[in-house]
Order: sequence, then C-alpha cells, then structure tokens
Amino acid sequence: MNNPTSHHRLVSLTAGLLIALVAREMRTQPPTQNAAGISFENRQPQSGVDFVLNNGTTVDKPIIDSIPGGVALLDYDNDGFLDIFFTNGARIPSLSKEGPGFYNRLYHNNHDGTFTDVTEKAGLSGTGYSIGVAAADFDNDGWTDLYVTGINHNILYRNNHDGTFTDVTEKAGVSGVNSAGKKLLSVSAAWIDYDNDGRLDLFVTNYLDWSPETSKVCGLPGKRLSCPPSLYPGEPNILYHNNGDGTFTDVSKSTGIADQIGKGMGVAVADYDADGWMDIFVANDNQRNFLFKNRRGKGFDEVGVEAGVAYTEDGIPVSSMGVDSRDYRNDGRPGIFITALGGETFPLYRNEGNDLFSMETYPANIGFSTYKMSGWGAGIVDLNNDGYKDLFSANSHVSENADIDPQQHYLQTNAIFENMKDNTFQDVSAHAGPGLSLRAAHRGAAFGDLNNDGKVDIVVSVIAGHAELLYNTTANGNHWLLIQTIGTKSNRDGIGTQIKLTSQSGSVQFNQVTTAGSYASSSDKRVHFGLGGDTLVKEVTLRWPSGTVQTLHNVKADQILKVTEGAL
Amino acid sequence: MRALYGSVLCLGMAVRCIAATSEVTTDSNADACAGAEIQLKSLSTNLNRNQFSVAEDRLTLLKAEHPDCSSILLAEARIKASQGAAEARDLFARYLEKVPNDPAGLAYFARFLIDQGQYQQADELSDAAASQDVKNPAALAVRGQILIMKGQPKQGEELLIKSCELDPDNAESQFQLGVLYDRTKRPGEAVKHFQKVVDLDPGYASAWDYLALNLEPLGEVDRADAAYRRGLEVNHEGQQFDAFLDYNYGRFLAKRNRLAESKLHLDRAVELVPDYRDTWYDRAKLNLRIGNYAQARSDAERAASLTEETGGILNLQVYNLLEQIYRRLGEKELADKYANLTRQTPPPTRKGSESTPSQ
Repeated sequence: MNNPTSHHRLVSLTAGLLIALVAREMRTQPPTQNAAGISFENRQPQSGVDFVLNNGTTVDKPIIDSIPGGVALLDYDNDGFLDIFFTNGARIPSLSKEGPGFYNRLYHNNHDGTFTDVTEKAGLSGTGYSIGVAAADFDNDGWTDLYVTGINHNILYRNNHDGTFTDVTEKAGVSGVNSAGKKLLSVSAAWIDYDNDGRLDLFVTNYLDWSPETSKVCGLPGKRLSCPPSLYPGEPNILYHNNGDGTFTDVSKSTGIADQIGKGMGVAVADYDADGWMDIFVANDNQRNFLFKNRRGKGFDEVGVEAGVAYTEDGIPVSSMGVDSRDYRNDGRPGIFITALGGETFPLYRNEGNDLFSMETYPANIGFSTYKMSGWGAGIVDLNNDGYKDLFSANSHVSENADIDPQQHYLQTNAIFENMKDNTFQDVSAHAGPGLSLRAAHRGAAFGDLNNDGKVDIVVSVIAGHAELLYNTTANGNHWLLIQTIGTKSNRDGIGTQIKLTSQSGSVQFNQVTTAGSYASSSDKRVHFGLGGDTLVKEVTLRWPSGTVQTLHNVKADQILKVTEGAL
Repeated sequence: MRALYGSVLCLGMAVRCIAATSEVTTDSNADACAGAEIQLKSLSTNLNRNQFSVAEDRLTLLKAEHPDCSSILLAEARIKASQGAAEARDLFARYLEKVPNDPAGLAYFARFLIDQGQYQQADELSDAAASQDVKNPAALAVRGQILIMKGQPKQGEELLIKSCELDPDNAESQFQLGVLYDRTKRPGEAVKHFQKVVDLDPGYASAWDYLALNLEPLGEVDRADAAYRRGLEVNHEGQQFDAFLDYNYGRFLAKRNRLAESKLHLDRAVELVPDYRDTWYDRAKLNLRIGNYAQARSDAERAASLTEETGGILNLQVYNLLEQIYRRLGEKELADKYANLTRQTPPPTRKGSESTPSQ
C-alpha cells in the first residue's frame, strides 16, 4: 500500500525554452493489462471520518443552504499522506458556527485507512458560514496552507509546521471584501501564479448578493424550493496578488477581473492557449461563463464568448456548478468539463486550439446520461490508469424538496464516465462498485491518492450525511506515476507546471500542477498519470511557470516521483 | 330499447359506456338511428382512434340505411373536420340544430374551431360542452385543451386526466394530455400518454414524434430512434402531416453522431418549413460541426433574418452561433460584432418566482 517515493532522474535540463508541448501527437494507446472495470468502495464507515455537512437549513430553504461545502486533500504535516479538510455551514440567519456540529474539520491520515479528527488542535474549526476551500503553499515555506471561503468570512490559515494553523486573514488582506468594504459571498478559490513571479496569487469566485435580510422565498409553504439565482444580483470575482511578504493586494480592478459581474461557482485554471501563462475559467450559475485569458501576467481579457465556452452550443447558459479543465483527449489541449442541473446536460468543451472550443457533450456521448443529473463536484481524472482521463461528477439536485416534482430527485448517485479512447465516454456508474450506488446530497469532491497505491481516490461531501471516502478499487493491474513538483524559481508547489509524459509504448499524455477545479474543493497537488501496461516512462517534460523546461528520461512506473525545479 | 342497450353495455364497461351512451342517448331523433346502435358504437370507436378511413366506409353504409340519424351527421362532421374541410362547420351546425346542447357535438365542433384558429368561438363552445355534461370525455378534453391555451394548466390538466379516465381509448384526449406533459417537461408521464396514442392510432405521426421527443430525456435513445422512424413511415401529406418530424429526427441524429443522416433530415426540414427559424439554426449548427462553414454561415444568416417569433430560437442563440461561425471563417470584424451582440443580449433566466415567506 505504501509505495516508495523517489527523487527524480534528471537527464537533461533546458532552461528558458518553451518547447511545443501542445503539438499534436500520434496517439498510441498504452497496453492495458486487463479489462477490469472502474470500481469504487466507500470506506467512510471504517475510516473514523464522521464528518456530516450541516447546511443549517431552515423551513424557507434560503438559496445558500444548497451551496456548501468543499473538500480539500492536502498533506498538511508533510508525512507523505493526504489528509482531509471539510468546510461546514452555520446557523441561519446568524451565520455563526453555533456548536461543533458546524465546525470545519481536519482529519489526519493515519496511513492505515483510518483518520483522526485534529480540527481543534489545528485551530481550523472556523468562523461563519463556510463554503469552499483551496490548499497550497502560499508563502513558499514547504508547508501547505489553507484558504476557506464563505458567506460572511473568508479565512487564510498559515501552516505553523507543527500541526497547527494561524488565521492570518487580516494581515494578508484576503478577507473577501470589495473596495467598498462589503463582504462578497465567496464559493470557490484557486491558487494560481498568474504573473509567474514565483508566488502564488489567489482567485476567489463570488456568487450573488444575498443576506438574511434580502433572502427570497420560493415554492409552497412546507415544501420550499431553492430560489433561482435570477432573483439576486451577481457579484464580481476577486484576484489577490501575492506581495511575497505575507500580504496580498486586491488587483481585481487593475487586472480586469472585477469588470465582469457573474454568479461564480466553480473555478478551474489551465493554460488553455499554451502560452505559458495560466488562464482562469469561472463557472457561472445560469449566466454566461467567464474565460479569463491571461495577458502575460499584466491582466486578463474575458474571452468566454469568443472562445465558445460562455454558453452551450445552443447559445444559452446552464446552471454551471463545478468545473475542471484538463486534457482529456491527450492532444495537449486542456478541455473543460462542467456540471449543471437536471434537464441541461453537463457541458464538455473540446479545445480546438487557436483559442477556440467546441461543445462535445453529445458527440462525446455524455449528453443523454447527464440530462437527468444535477452535478456539483467535477473531475477530469484517469480513474483506471489506462492513460486516458475519465470524468466524475458528484450529484444531487439543488433543492431539498425537489422530489415534489416526480421528475426530480434530491438524492442522487455520483457518476463516472469512462474514457473509451475514441473521444467518447461511457457512463459506467452502475457498474463501478458499491461506492457509486449511494444516493445522497453530494456536493464538493476532491481527487487524490489517499493510500498512495497509484489510483486516484475521491472524497465527496454530503449535506446532512456522512462524507464519502471513495477508494479506488479498480483491479486491472495498470501502472501509474505520481509527480510531486517542488519549485525553486517557481512557486514552491510548482503550481502551473505543465507536464508532458511519453510512456514506453509511445503514448503521450499531458497534465498540469494545480489544486483547483471541481466545486468549492481542492485536490491533491501531485500530478497523476495512468500508464496502462507500461512499466517505464520514456520521457517526462516539465515546463515550469518560471520558464524552465526540464526533461527526465526512463522513469520507472509505480512511484511517487519528486521533481525539484532545476535540480540535476 | 336504447335505455336497455345502454344498461346492458354498462354492466361490464362502467367507464367506457358513459361515452357511448352520452352520444347515443342525446339524439333527439333517436328512432332514426334505431337498429344502428352497434354500428354507431363502432363508428365512434373508429373516430376516437383517428381511424377516419375505416369510419368513412362505415359511415357510407350507415348513411344509406339511416339517412335521418343525427349521430351519423355528427360522425360525418368529424370526418370532414379531420380533413380540414370547411364543410365540417356546416355539418356541425346542422347537427347542433338537431341535437341542441349535445356536449359531444359542442366539443367536436370546438376542436374543429381550434384547428381553424378560431379560439374565441372554440372557448365558448367548449365551455358550453363541459357545462352540459361534466362526465363527457370529449367535452372535458377540449375544455382542458382550451384552459391550457388560456394559461390555466392545472385546471386543464385536471379535465384532461378526467377525460382519459372516462375514455382511455380516446386518442385525442391522450394526445392533449401528453402535449401538456411535454410542455411542462414531464417526459415520463408524457411518454405514457403518447405511447397510448400510438397504440390506439399507429398512423398518428405527431404522436410518434412527441413520443420520441420525450423518450430522449429519459435516455431511451433506441426506443426514441424507433419512434422517430415509425413516425416518418406514417407521415403522409394531408391534415395529419407533421412538418417538424424531420427536424426533430435530424437534431436527434446529430446528438447520436450520425451526422450524414442528420444532414438529410435537416435538409428536408428547411424545405418543409423554410419560414421557421429553428430549422435553419439547427442546420447551421450541424454545418458548423462538420466544418462546412460557408453553408453554416448561410443558414445562420437565414435564421437571423427570421424573427424570434418564428420558432423558439432566441436572438442570443443566433448571435452566439454567428460569432462562432465567423470566428472560424476568420472574419474577425463580423465575429467581434456578434460577440458584442452576444454579450449585450441578456440570457433567459431559470424559471422560478418568489413566494410568501413562512410565518
């Protein structure tokens, strides 16, 4: 279970060159050892993780009760194993955590499939109505920090290296207020070094202008429904620039981010145009989505309409919730996968290159399946280590009382769409083991290898239910590689590093270092590759945010490879 | 004699007999129909199942034997109405002179008027029909349809449900209830009713079309495909012709990546309904997808030349599509123009409204 980690084998290093990572490659399929299907098992009952997401709902079902909560998979104590952090709600309308049932929770991984609740020791129980979380090492000290978003409080916790955290929000200046001093309703956050200066900046999505006083009520008495977001004004997102001294500067206006008013839910970062600068995609609820194209660290242009990702192929918005952006076609171009509500389908955008996307939901064969689903957490992840990234969605209707309409179901099962290696997917949820048969009010989902066995596990938060620890039990013997980047010139986590992998059989894959994506959640920063039957990787090329390009040769499979920027 | 017949019939068919007796016993010229009760019943069944050619044959025989039977007059009016013939109006009027206030007569006349676009008169007649007999399935069905058209879907649904309960074999009642469920996005319920319609009347192309459309969201794609194909097989020129069947099937095939077949049906769709924005829009989308940008531009510009009122496609959708087409054609100025229009046009909002808060 505990696979050895090793340091990189660096064969060649080329600094300052941007190699053509996006060149179209001849796709060769890695040999698969057997055809055992994707399978997951929920091991929450034996894990010691007893977290229940309490949204503090009331009889009027205010819109905010549907939007928590997030999950983070992070190794806060640097012991080589992922720990789990959950955000939690608060009492409504006070929006305060009145009692332990509303605390955010941190669970330490005991390396044996069990976890220990260390929330109070860590000082992470939180304040206010929390929604999302983003984990990364913002101060480049080698220890992962946490940013928690929420309705009335956003909190930045600095890791003290001793199992505890300190709230540094005020000093850092990242409390989530706008220039007028008004706290915005924050949902997701992403750590991104948008100007490639070696320090992680912080992007925060904001939803809509809600308060207990302005809360609307919809539906019939006793069976209230979540009001549509159209009843509330939207809000701008926030970008904080990291000053490198523990403080941040709100650059939302100067970078053009604040010019766009949306209803931000999920956020994903990827270098969609392969220019070496990370771009930002914001999933907006029932409004056009935003694609912020990075102007080489000087600001952003919102190009969602031009790129073809603002709306569906039908030119209308969907209730975009979660989002992930990665290369699911192994062509070097990150696509975009979005979860939405039932009756809308989940948009899947293929990156055509030349700054254009095309919606592939039906062509990729996920249209009819997702029409019936309402999704939150989203991931583009290789779940069976066959070298092709699959899709995952954490599902549930938005309204607790949705079932008054016989066509709708509040509690839903999660979904997995297996990549069929021909640019289509197949809904394999019904055959993906007992972990995928659980009907619940799923929300945030984070992806990472909890037991270091080389298979990506998934942790999903559940409103009014135990969180699910979905261990990947796929037994096909396929090989894998996990890459942990350690930046030196670049940010310490290496976030933003673009990785191209060529395996023994000649198949080529692309991925990136990021903890962002999904819904209100934060995933394993280590980059996962499935290798099929290949036991050797011919070449790994890393393009760091600093511009450094580093190439490794003949890397053995089935290991967690630590790569330090520029090291020989 | 008629009362006895009705009573006997009702012993085993408690629900269906109401429809039969209501039409037969309201005939003030009952003696003129004496001896034709069984044939009239069969005729009524044929008409309710939209078996108009069979009904026409039966009618010819009956008419010769019972020239003064008013029920035959009503049947003749219904057959003419199914053909869209203007003389149906006169036949209905003559029937109602003979059998004033007959709820079935009023109801079928009202349905004919709906088909003719004479909604005010249809409203009045359907109201009168339903008032005459709250258990007449035809009256309830047409009144329900009118109420839905008047923006009273709940009341309309209640009447249509009642109508279908009273006479489950009335294809038009089943169809109208299915349409209501289709419009309110309840595909599971809609499918049940459209399936019933096509079981009763396998030649009803629109019912196959609706059945397929509602099977799609349920993920029953193979069944939907079969339903579309059955619909196309029976979609013949005439009053019952469904001009949108090719359009819907073309869109469906595009979703299933059967692009060449999709193109054939969308080509036919734009020929059949050239003044309808949706057909041009969807063919433009298909042409964009297959890289036929010039044709996509032509189709999308044609869609743009038609107004939002000619179909369900919004200006926003057309602008967004034109932006994408011109972007791929490398015509930056036009692409930017439509990008701006896309940004400036507010999107439709998710349905839902504020209610009174709990106390």
